[in-house]
Amino acid sequence: MTEKQTYTSYKTEEYIIKEEPFYLPVADEVELFEVAYSQQLPILLKGPTGTGKTRFVEYMCYRLGRPLTKITRSTGDGKQPSASGSIPLMTIACHEDLTASDLVGRYLLEGDETKWMDGPLARAVKVGAICYLDEVVEARKDTTVLIHPLTDHRRFLPIDKRGEIIEAHERFLLVLSYNPGYQSALKDLKHSTRQRFMALEFSAPPAELEAKIVEHESGASPEMSLALAKLGEKTRNLKDHGLQEGVGTRLLIYAGKLINNGIAPRRACQVAVTWALTDDVQLQRSIDEVVHSIFE
Amino acid sequence: MALSTYEEKFQQFPKELTEALSEAWEAVAKVLTGEEIEAWADSGLTIAQLEGRSWEAAKEYFKASPAMVQAIPFVHLKQWGHWGNTLAEESAAVSMAYFKASPQVAKLLKPWDVPEWAQLGKKLYSRGRRAGVLSTRYFEVTGDILRVLSFSELQHLVVLVESIAERSADEAIAFLSISRDVLPSLREDTRPCLSLVSILVREDWQQATGCLEVVEEALSRVERVERSRYLALAGRVAERGDINIPAFLRESSAALGQIDGFIHIHILNMADTLSRTNAEVVLDYIKGVPQVLRRVSINQLETWFETGVKVLADNAEGGAAFFSGESTRSEEVLERLSMGVELGRVKEVMRLYCRALSALDVEIAPHVKEDSQGKGWVALEKMMAEGATVYLPPVAERFNNKEENFDWYKVVATHQVAHLEFQSFNFSFDTPATQFSDMRNQLVTSVPEAAPADEQDGAPDGTEDEQAIGLADIQRFFAMFVDGMLARDIFTAVEDCRLDHRVKIEYPGIRQAYTNVQRQSLADRPVIEELPAREALVELLIRFSLQQGRELMVPERYSVWAKTLWDIVKPLSRPQALVEDSAEATIRLYKIISQIPNEDVPQEEWEQNDFQDEQSGGDGIDEEQLEQMLKDLMESQQSAEDGEEQPYQSPPQVDYRGDFKPELMQVISMLRESQKERGAKGDTISKEEMERLLAEANQPVSQSEVGDLKRQGIIVTDEIKEAGSKGTPQRTVQQSNYSYDPSFDEEEQGGPLEIKAPDAFLYDEWDYRMSDYRSRWCLLREKDMAEGDSAYFNTTLESYAALASQIRRQFELMMPQGLQKMKRQQDGDELELDAVIEAMVDKRSGTSPSEKVYLRRNKVQRDVAVVFLLDMSASTAEAIDESRRLADEWDAPDDPLEYMFWLRSRRGEGVRRSYKRIVDLEKESLVLLIHALETIGDTYGIYGFSGYGRENVDFFVIKDLQEPLSEKVKRRIDKVSPLQATRMGPAIRHAVVKLDRLDARTKFLILISDGRPQDRGYSREGVEKEYALHDTRISLIEARRKGITPFCLTVDKEGHDYLRAMCQDMGYEVLADIHSLPRRLPALYRRLTV
Repeated sequence: MTEKQTYTSYKTEEYIIKEEPFYLPVADEVELFEVAYSQQLPILLKGPTGTGKTRFVEYMCYRLGRPLTKITRSTGDGKQPSASGSIPLMTIACHEDLTASDLVGRYLLEGDETKWMDGPLARAVKVGAICYLDEVVEARKDTTVLIHPLTDHRRFLPIDKRGEIIEAHERFLLVLSYNPGYQSALKDLKHSTRQRFMALEFSAPPAELEAKIVEHESGASPEMSLALAKLGEKTRNLKDHGLQEGVGTRLLIYAGKLINNGIAPRRACQVAVTWALTDDVQLQRSIDEVVHSIFE
Repeated sequence: MALSTYEEKFQQFPKELTEALSEAWEAVAKVLTGEEIEAWADSGLTIAQLEGRSWEAAKEYFKASPAMVQAIPFVHLKQWGHWGNTLAEESAAVSMAYFKASPQVAKLLKPWDVPEWAQLGKKLYSRGRRAGVLSTRYFEVTGDILRVLSFSELQHLVVLVESIAERSADEAIAFLSISRDVLPSLREDTRPCLSLVSILVREDWQQATGCLEVVEEALSRVERVERSRYLALAGRVAERGDINIPAFLRESSAALGQIDGFIHIHILNMADTLSRTNAEVVLDYIKGVPQVLRRVSINQLETWFETGVKVLADNAEGGAAFFSGESTRSEEVLERLSMGVELGRVKEVMRLYCRALSALDVEIAPHVKEDSQGKGWVALEKMMAEGATVYLPPVAERFNNKEENFDWYKVVATHQVAHLEFQSFNFSFDTPATQFSDMRNQLVTSVPEAAPADEQDGAPDGTEDEQAIGLADIQRFFAMFVDGMLARDIFTAVEDCRLDHRVKIEYPGIRQAYTNVQRQSLADRPVIEELPAREALVELLIRFSLQQGRELMVPERYSVWAKTLWDIVKPLSRPQALVEDSAEATIRLYKIISQIPNEDVPQEEWEQNDFQDEQSGGDGIDEEQLEQMLKDLMESQQSAEDGEEQPYQSPPQVDYRGDFKPELMQVISMLRESQKERGAKGDTISKEEMERLLAEANQPVSQSEVGDLKRQGIIVTDEIKEAGSKGTPQRTVQQSNYSYDPSFDEEEQGGPLEIKAPDAFLYDEWDYRMSDYRSRWCLLREKDMAEGDSAYFNTTLESYAALASQIRRQFELMMPQGLQKMKRQQDGDELELDAVIEAMVDKRSGTSPSEKVYLRRNKVQRDVAVVFLLDMSASTAEAIDESRRLADEWDAPDDPLEYMFWLRSRRGEGVRRSYKRIVDLEKESLVLLIHALETIGDTYGIYGFSGYGRENVDFFVIKDLQEPLSEKVKRRIDKVSPLQATRMGPAIRHAVVKLDRLDARTKFLILISDGRPQDRGYSREGVEKEYALHDTRISLIEARRKGITPFCLTVDKEGHDYLRAMCQDMGYEVLADIHSLPRRLPALYRRLTV
């Protein structure tokens, strides 16, 4: 008897977002993304953490993959458009040791033979996925150079080891995210890289919108969500006054979830906002005072 | 005569004498002439011949002679001998002591004082019993004493000894001995100590010796600079009271020893005051202080002290009990004080809180009650630079526990910030009100209704209106009313009412505290029944705004109107209400209230009214109905005979609300706007000009001034326009021009400079008005820093031990990057498994494998060079606000045991932190940073700069870039101290040159300063600030062009203003809390370079 599988696994290139992710547009970013996608313009998402970059990509991926979307150009030129027309999303979290071969692929030993194994980027290029490189500045410099031919008119991925060049599927799109907030001189995108992308800036959404997001994501009551959004707005005012980053929506959602499950609001905000934001005692106290003013 | 002749003469005496003579002869003969030698030898002979043992004195005479001959001329030598003779006549022992001491003393005295000195000893001998011992002791000790005392002081001391000797010779002898032991160790405190002793000798001679016995130890516990004052205090206590001074010194110094040194001055100040009224309690007071300070801060100590002084004035015993901590009164005062919250301790928290709420740079300033008129001016410049000042009282002590007192601060701050947050100052005629129909726009064009025609020459008809456009909307609004003051009071009340409601809606968490404060304010309001009718109604509005809706006294005949007032105010409690609604409400309320005569209402006519319960039907008020009622009211008023109207007076302010000056704020923001439009920060409206403008805007406009206001308004407009046209933006950066330009006006400005010394360098300076460099404009001298004590370095590390090791650990964590494994190398220490496998795979698959299969651990990965530029300007000598020292007191634990531990640890820190200057923190940060930097092996240099004028820029090398960390460097750090002005440009340029020579992949220039650049002769008057900013900015840009990343770190709270302009896209940081510098600097460095 085989054990029942208790988890779902996908091949990375087959991971398709089936449910519509919740995303509230702040401005015209949806339209911009759609046009960029149709014109095959690579996209750079800038913005501090917790402002919805990843969610936006998921949402767009779903949206563009919907059968009815007019953007999907399933002109049958031999390449099989997947049945539903949906677009796989390939997310790669970049880290300091991410090398070029981690992206492109490498030979592996199998039994007595070697076998070529495509890296995620190569797979995305082949199947026509949206490839999302998260926090790209963290990756090694050589990997950022690797994506250059993919992001201009050439649109191909060279695989040196095999002496191949893979032409990108027409649905393939490269999306990068990057947080310019760190004032580190050593961690910045090179201009030769950044000038290959159309850039969308993300910042904290306006209070009403944020309240809706918090409400939806955390299930907290509308009043509570509004109060949380207000807290977000107020703490962001402290940015550059000791706080390096304002609070992201994600943390507010955490707070909302805690509150929704019976934690007292003040305490919830303390653990999910104040303490998460800073270690500075003075700042903690100031933020706590704001929390105490807003919540009973 | 020859020596042999004398030797014969001395035959009769023991052999030693002759030996002494012959030993001295040779030395003496070198100096003296023949005759003089004879005289000299003769006087020796005379002495020897006096009596039985006097030959011993003579022997000492000869022994001392060689030294004496050198020290004093013959005339005095003769006298010296003569005095020895005189003394020997009295006692050979005294004379011996005299001669023995002579060589030492002669070195310290003027020659002509030597006989005087002898005479003093002679005088002492004449004092009865045991005089010989006393006199001998005198000669024995003077040699040591004269090292620290002048001769005249010695004379004074002898007078004291004499007067003691009159009573007891033994005491006098003991006194002399102890003087020798103690006085030299007192150094600069010797004189004050002597005056104390002389007082004691006068008052109670028996204490003098005892006093000297304890004084040394006592003084060691008192802060050095305060010691003489402390002794003077003891003197005054001795004069005025019957107090044992040795005990006083012992006990009071023990108490002072428990207190941080920098507080001593305050305590001694108070003790001084006290000693003038009642010397007996001074000791009790000082002994009590350590106890008291454990509970309250130094400022509060003063309050406690003042209370005690008052008690003392009434009743001496009560006062004594108060200071010794035995009275309940004292306990009560302390209890209350220790529950109070001081602004200093919560200022930073409140500042950030306000910043969070308002998104503006808010400054917290203590509220000064006496001068409420002038308080706006202090913050003028700050307000111009986009920000606001929140005024809070220096201490909150209304409630009986810390929490409520703190909440009170919070309520005050929240209310004041609410003005900003909910836009009290953005009144505009164009924004529609949400709760009322528009009456303002109709009214503003029409003549105020009740104004007498003759005053309305310049009444705002169509044409006037155009001129009035320059006025802030809110000014125009108030100009609509005949009685501006009344309108203002009404507006203030309703606007505050709106804000209070709004705050309670937006911030439910603070609601409870807010209501508490409102309730408290209600208790402080004047009694309505005592007010004349019109004022009573305004007061009624304030009561409404404080959310009192019941049990309000209203004159019977106005009760309907009071009800209407309530109805008008009510819509303002809705969250949608805007400042425009307050304005509309003001118009309506004014219509009613201005009709009500300001006359006294008889007691019996007052009746109690409840407003809250009554349901007033629909929302808001029926405009038509109101109009009708108003007509009725006017008619009824006209029919009523005119009683004695009193002049209208504004109601007292609600204390937590502070001043509300909408007009002032709007004018300021208009000025700000106009400044912004100009873009370039060139010439600004001078402060005086602005003060005048604002003073005008701030004038409450009374009836007769309506016309004036119009004119002022025009002035305001003109001023803005004029200022707006000034200033030409100059932003372009041109390449520097090194050629010498003789066309410079050398007479007026001075020309380019010449290098005259080897370690001097010339740098250009950017003149933003010319948009060009002034070539060879600044002369910089590079100097090595003087060397101090290297112990400073280690002491700092010790005192910051915890932090130092923490920082070091954090830096060590960076090591993996510093000591990165280099993968896939051609050769190396070990094989890299992944690479080897890959190579094998490649081989099997038929491609040629890579040879790069080795792993190497290398240290070279990190290649950072950094220069720290330290501002050593005079302003860094500023002491750091000492109240901040106690800032953490708020977090005192409640549990008594924990509290004790906490207290002890805090006190330990306190000693270390006493009286620190900004530069000290800069130094300490450097020490910590160096300590950490050594672990990661970055190349770093540390330089200080200061100077005076462009020809005197000093550039101090503390550690040169390539120089290893040595004891020398550590010693130099000790010497870093505040010098002169801050001319940043040349220093930055010089540092850039140094960095540029170095070959490193990443280069940083970190500038640590305490304020904006400034120096003498930074261009002409008026534009120095701009000039300095521009030059510094350009020099930073130059650095960046050379591939160096500049970063500015400042501890100046106003740093945001100019740093934003100076650094723009370059990195900068303003430290809100100077104390965080030692922690922050290494953290920053880490962040920048990883």
